[in-house]
Amino acid sequence: MALIFPKTLYTLLALGWVASAVAQGTEEEDLALIYGDNSTVSIATGASQPLRRAPAVASVITAEDIAAIGATSLGEVLETVPGVHVSRASIRYAPLFVIRGIGGGSQTNPQVLLLQNGIPMTAMYNGDRGSAWIGVPVENIARVEVIRGPGSALYGADAYAGVINVITKTAADTPGTEAGVRAGSFDMRDAWVQHGGKWGAADVAAYLSVGSTDGIKETIGTKTIPTPGPLNTGYDAVDGSLNLSLDKWRFRANYKLRDNLQTGAGVSSALDPDSLGRVEELAGDLSWTDPAFAKDWAVGVTAAYLYYGFTYPTNLMLLPPSVKPPDGLIGGPNQWERQLRLSSNATYTGFAGHSLRLGLGHDDLDLYKAKTYKNYIFVGGVPVVTGPVLDYSDTDPHIRPHKRMVDYLYAQDEWRFARDWTLTAGLRRDNYSDFGGTTNPRLALVWEAAYDLTAKLLYGRAFRAPSFNELYGNNPVANGNPSLRPETINTAEAALSWQARKDTQINLSLFSYEARNMIRLAGISWANATEQHGSGMELEAVWDASRTLRLTGNYAYQKSIDEATSQDAGYAPHHHVYLRADWRFSPDWFAHGQFNWVADRARAPGDVRSPVPDYRTVDLTVRTAARKNDQWDIAFSVRNLFDAQVLEPSLFPVQIPGDLPQAGRSAWVQLSHRL
Amino acid sequence: MTGAFLAASAGFRRFLLRCACGAVGLAALLLAGAALPAPNNSAGPTIGVIYPDIGEPYRSVFTKIIEGVEDTSRARVVGFPVGMGVNPRDLAVEIRRQDIKVVIALGRHGLRAAAGLDKNVGVVVSGVLTVPDAEVRAVPVFSLSPDPALLFARLKSLLPGVRRVHVVFDPRQSGWLIKLAREAAKAYNIELLTYEAEDIKAAAVDYRELLASADPRHDALWLPQDSTTVDETSILPMVLQESWNRSLPVFSSSVSHVKRGALFSLYPDNVELGRNLGSVAQGIWNGTFGLRGIVPLKEVLVAVNARTASHLGLDLTARRQDFDLMFPEP
Repeated sequence: MALIFPKTLYTLLALGWVASAVAQGTEEEDLALIYGDNSTVSIATGASQPLRRAPAVASVITAEDIAAIGATSLGEVLETVPGVHVSRASIRYAPLFVIRGIGGGSQTNPQVLLLQNGIPMTAMYNGDRGSAWIGVPVENIARVEVIRGPGSALYGADAYAGVINVITKTAADTPGTEAGVRAGSFDMRDAWVQHGGKWGAADVAAYLSVGSTDGIKETIGTKTIPTPGPLNTGYDAVDGSLNLSLDKWRFRANYKLRDNLQTGAGVSSALDPDSLGRVEELAGDLSWTDPAFAKDWAVGVTAAYLYYGFTYPTNLMLLPPSVKPPDGLIGGPNQWERQLRLSSNATYTGFAGHSLRLGLGHDDLDLYKAKTYKNYIFVGGVPVVTGPVLDYSDTDPHIRPHKRMVDYLYAQDEWRFARDWTLTAGLRRDNYSDFGGTTNPRLALVWEAAYDLTAKLLYGRAFRAPSFNELYGNNPVANGNPSLRPETINTAEAALSWQARKDTQINLSLFSYEARNMIRLAGISWANATEQHGSGMELEAVWDASRTLRLTGNYAYQKSIDEATSQDAGYAPHHHVYLRADWRFSPDWFAHGQFNWVADRARAPGDVRSPVPDYRTVDLTVRTAARKNDQWDIAFSVRNLFDAQVLEPSLFPVQIPGDLPQAGRSAWVQLSHRL
Repeated sequence: MTGAFLAASAGFRRFLLRCACGAVGLAALLLAGAALPAPNNSAGPTIGVIYPDIGEPYRSVFTKIIEGVEDTSRARVVGFPVGMGVNPRDLAVEIRRQDIKVVIALGRHGLRAAAGLDKNVGVVVSGVLTVPDAEVRAVPVFSLSPDPALLFARLKSLLPGVRRVHVVFDPRQSGWLIKLAREAAKAYNIELLTYEAEDIKAAAVDYRELLASADPRHDALWLPQDSTTVDETSILPMVLQESWNRSLPVFSSSVSHVKRGALFSLYPDNVELGRNLGSVAQGIWNGTFGLRGIVPLKEVLVAVNARTASHLGLDLTARRQDFDLMFPEP
């Protein structure tokens, strides 16, 4: 055995080189020479990197960011993105993602497209992601990509104000087995297990999370029931996912259950502590991709399935007996959907200076069953109690089954037409079986102005498809209108990205938009009733102040005008400031602080209430660095540390005069362990 | 899907869910509490890995290397995280107690700690950039500095017209690497023009001269991992700005330079490096590995800057699969 003896090392020590080596710098200085800043080492030692699809104004939030901000739900993650504010609907207190002034002022959120691993999670009934996405846990999220501005030229319907793509963890993102528990205010309890590894030749990642919360119980008063009472925002949740990949094949399944889902401030703005909803969503997709299919060709094919069921095991008490004697107004609108989406794409790089992407697809979107239980009918627009709750599914349903078929085709060319200049042009045609066709272009001119400066000019047109409820809903005070056309938006953007110093990145974006045919209630029916225009900017900076301290901040400004009244469109903040500090104060411990200032929210035209009060919140999170195997990690977070009063605007016409109160100071503690 | 669960009352369903929540939590705790025994195969050695106990993100570098070592199928691997305050004698006692005969020492902390081991313990060093070669001829050192031969090969594949490579270096830091680079350059028919500089001022003068005289059609500039000659705050911005203006290709041994505008870099494939270290450790244990001295990094991944490539007239659209990391991020 020819062992190498450490005697030489003793000699080496005696010679003093080790001492001098240590004196020359720390361990981290050596590694910094290889990897540079913290974000680069995370990317270079990680398994995945963001995908380049098309030039856009985009933000990427990584799993590391999510841990840093102490977020436990997707909404908390998105509030940190410049130009994005997360408001709340009064019904179920569902989060509303307001992007550049668009997305508030409604009980639903259909102007923002939510993708899960690139596949739309849109439930047809309301045209948004549906209630299965309330309180989505974040442990299984590898990263969130947020595109502000239009994306219909690639993504189709509803990529209107922005696109949010939630990418779940693969085996490489979560090697080994990790388990964790968390408990906190509002009786929040969560537990999860995730695993990444091999199953035969395949890579497998699996995740299961269960949790429940009683939700916030702030007191609220409504016009329907003047006596204030506590909000009802509790729910139970089960989330699971499975991700298998083998060579060019990948199979993914995601399950979400929101059970005992309470109604927030009530479906009819009447507090309803006893009604409970149940939402179930199962999404699965099988894809095959070959990046080297043939010379200069990359090809991919995906088949995706979505099941979505929204039921009320306990019927809604729309109006209590005190308002509508003798038994109150009771209703139970239930619906079930299934969707099949087939898509294919090909990228051709055989023409010098060009990258051509082509795609086509077919969607089969089926609200295949609806059940309506209630104890009333409308007579002349007024609800009249008919007696006991009966099944009205055949005679007077809230909606009848409907199917939508979509065929689409798109092409995008990225053309490097001169040194440092690239023009990307894209066009997508969608044909809808119900409301016809729509064509949406996208242009992006990118100039690499200097080694540290990139400038972009962008233009895009996008559309948002009318929801089934807006088209076919049967509600005498909010009737469906089958002649609705899609909402459209034209957006122009300019963006600068400047690596000001080695430790400082600055991004600036300016935008201006015109939204047409916006769907609102006009009288008792949905109609393409309003138009609005707006403009604004986002400024963001990242500064690695030292190897242990990173400061991040962004400021967003927007102003949106309702064209009919020339008044502010309301609901969204004009100013939004976000600051964050990440400090590694010892090798094993991080402290994170964030400050969020939401300011200057005007009322909608006609609403004479004083403006929505501004608010400033501070959150603090302390956690151990993601440790190596066989060690515990602990995290502790205080949200809204100074117990600021946070209000999100209630809708106009006013049913809830005092707006929607949000959580005061709260806290949670989390333990996790990796095997 | 909904049948039985729906049939139950809301309260009972909530009870069930809370039970499930508790069960998953309990399972999590039980799983966590049950430390899995490491695989023990008597056919192979027990390899000790001494590594710096540092925080993220750099900790990942070492955990990935260890992951690779663990892939070495016939070995049992025992990790020893060491901080600044570790007593090498305590570590030596522990290694003796576990009857470990071969050790992989990672990073400066690892190397310092390994110095206190018993004489019959074999050592292989990695996770460092450089060790003065005069002192380290008796142990194998696998540097994290990419092999110049691999850098030149990648340069030639991207820019076949390059005939000369300029490099400004501090002989105290990069002398050993430049010796290797001279040999490698010959193999790739490249003329290596070296400029010695022992301080930033001298380096700045060298860069100005070479940037003024370099021919972008046939020349390229190499930035080694050299804190003297590639100062991040003064030298690097000037070099990147001037080379951009003159369309002079710049490649680097540091991946962070690619993010800032260098054309490409090679950086460690830590898992693969770990596998190699595991094999070397086994070779030392069974007497089949006897090489000494410093070896440059051969287990590499490739990072490229697409906008710099485009600026230099390179069309990478059909070659994206050739790169492990592409900047800038979208």
